[in-house]
Amino acid sequence: MRFAFTDDQLLFSDGLRDLLAGEFTAADLRELWESGAADAPALWRHLADMGVIGALAPEAAGGMGLGFVDAILLFEQLGYAAVPGPVIESMAVVIPALAADPELAAQIAAGEVVATAAIEGSPYVAHAAVSSVILTPEGLLRDAESVDVHGVDQGRGLATVSGGTVTPLAFDVDAAFDRGALATAAYLVGASQRMIDIAADYARQREQFGKPIGSFQAVKHLLADALLKVEFARPAVYAAAWELTAGEPSASRSVSMAKTFASDAAYRTTRSTMQVHGGIGYTWEADLQLWMKKAWALQRSYGDATFHRRRAAASILA
Amino acid sequence: MDLRYTADEQAFRDEARAWLTEHVPAEPLPSFDTEEGFALHREWERTLHGGGWSAVSWPVEYGGRGADYIKWLIFEEEYYRAGAPGRVNQNGIFLLGPTVQEVGTDEQKTRFLPTMASSEIVWAQAWSEPNAGSDLAAIRSKATRDGDDWILNGQKIWASRAVWADWCFGIFRTDPESQRHKGLTFILCPLDLPGITVRPIAQLDGDTGFAEIFFDDVRVPVENTLGEEGRGWYVAMATAGFERGVSLRSPARFSAAADRLVALWKERADKSDTALSDAVTQVWMEAEGYRLHTYRTVTAMIEGRPIGAEASLNKIFWSEMDVRIHELALQILGPEAERLEGPDSRWVDGFLFSLSGPIYAGTNEIQRNIIADRVLQLPKGV
Repeated sequence: MRFAFTDDQLLFSDGLRDLLAGEFTAADLRELWESGAADAPALWRHLADMGVIGALAPEAAGGMGLGFVDAILLFEQLGYAAVPGPVIESMAVVIPALAADPELAAQIAAGEVVATAAIEGSPYVAHAAVSSVILTPEGLLRDAESVDVHGVDQGRGLATVSGGTVTPLAFDVDAAFDRGALATAAYLVGASQRMIDIAADYARQREQFGKPIGSFQAVKHLLADALLKVEFARPAVYAAAWELTAGEPSASRSVSMAKTFASDAAYRTTRSTMQVHGGIGYTWEADLQLWMKKAWALQRSYGDATFHRRRAAASILA
Repeated sequence: MDLRYTADEQAFRDEARAWLTEHVPAEPLPSFDTEEGFALHREWERTLHGGGWSAVSWPVEYGGRGADYIKWLIFEEEYYRAGAPGRVNQNGIFLLGPTVQEVGTDEQKTRFLPTMASSEIVWAQAWSEPNAGSDLAAIRSKATRDGDDWILNGQKIWASRAVWADWCFGIFRTDPESQRHKGLTFILCPLDLPGITVRPIAQLDGDTGFAEIFFDDVRVPVENTLGEEGRGWYVAMATAGFERGVSLRSPARFSAAADRLVALWKERADKSDTALSDAVTQVWMEAEGYRLHTYRTVTAMIEGRPIGAEASLNKIFWSEMDVRIHELALQILGPEAERLEGPDSRWVDGFLFSLSGPIYAGTNEIQRNIIADRVLQLPKGV
């Protein structure tokens, strides 16, 4: 029993963090929102070049041939930076489902093709407009028409989809759903950590009654409680990643545990960090909103906390 | 990362399980907060020690097995799964013991650890005072140097197990000019010395699980100083970090309680109540989440990455989860939740005990302050 990452895994994650800290700041994210764009193509190419997009693709398909444990921290870093576009879908849902189409996997890994997924049974498809391939339970949907539905998170590009042609593809839909749920959970952990960092920064600087508001216990405790939830979601996410990689029979239940914790933690974190900001937290100009909206969208993506709690209950209470 | 147990770890688990199956008393012992129960629990500790299981993570030379913390967690899982008795000397074995090993002299290790492992000496913690609770640094009990002795004066309170314990470990102000965290010294003291008065305090369940200790010119040799004179606060915090961290409330206890809650739900609950089944599922998952969190912490400890203020996160998590487990059990029990006798009373007793969790070992509010100050780097408050 050893519950820790290897140096290589940590190095890859740190490398991605550094890249994002330099190339995709909160100001960049805001600019993207203001421009109405739902993706960042230049950043996407960087991520592909770095091997991030194809992390889970087999080496034969131009990927890094990594397992979910190796990649889980990457999703956390992507959430910390609120990277837009179908990172979760391309990396975690679609590529590993393409055993029968390694060529397409290679194109996605290389950043030449952007793919999203519509396997949740939702009437809406995230990232449809920026993707040329959509994985559906029936197969690969191309040339579909998408209509933007103005989702709460600009970087999700939420849309309805119609028409197009489907190339049948044999893949395990349930396994793809689990990968999507777990990658989303990790992304939410990263996004939550960012919100806590933003709010802690604010609480150190903002003064009232002649003192930084972070010196008041009511403010301290809001943030401590948010951190508590995030810190206890983390090991559940990591353990589920290991179970998926190892093919443990309890993997789906562990994924549900991870997504339950991460969704709940993310929502609580939006509430606490917004409250710490006071009036500024209710404005468009506070950067916090860019992450809060990500959290509100993703907390329900690939199953909300109630869905996953009940899915886990099927074995816990059986 | 490999969350499977190694063959060696599995063999250790099998050995522990076999021993516990053979030795755990068939009937639960009376509470160790009663005179009879205390004696029976001390007897159980002797049995445990005889099998080499009382302090598995300690070095062999002091009565342990030299097991790493992963194995310690495995032992705990087997211990609580077997329904074995509570640990009457937990303040000694899990709090003081590791501190003695860290800062004690070789002479102190030889003198105190073997009798601690065997529970020939049962230890009580004597830190809090009537005016030094959450504000522990306000300690006023003092130790004055007289030749080769300390003369202890003052009053300690909330000293768990002190009514029947043999020794206590306390923090005393040795520099009368000092303020707050400075000038405190960690001193070990027998509880049967002249000048000591132990006054039992009945806790919420009526048993005298803790006590006040009055020191009136109590003379102890300076060899009983643990760590450096004047550094008592930092010695104590090493202990407290461990207490909040992993040792005092190992995940196995909550996993076992959560499993019992699920069994109770299956047997007695209204299955159409989805709010209840959601809540029971949630708390079971939290117990599992706490187990995972602990394995991660322990791996870090084994690999030499020290645990810090994050230990405060643990303490809030397990104490609130423990209350929730018991609240849900009482909800399922309905009218039976009012009775302090009968087969279900274990849950009622457990509920009362769980309520101490958010208070002792530093209230959860103090823990939140620690997290905010040390992890989130927020400015110090009052």
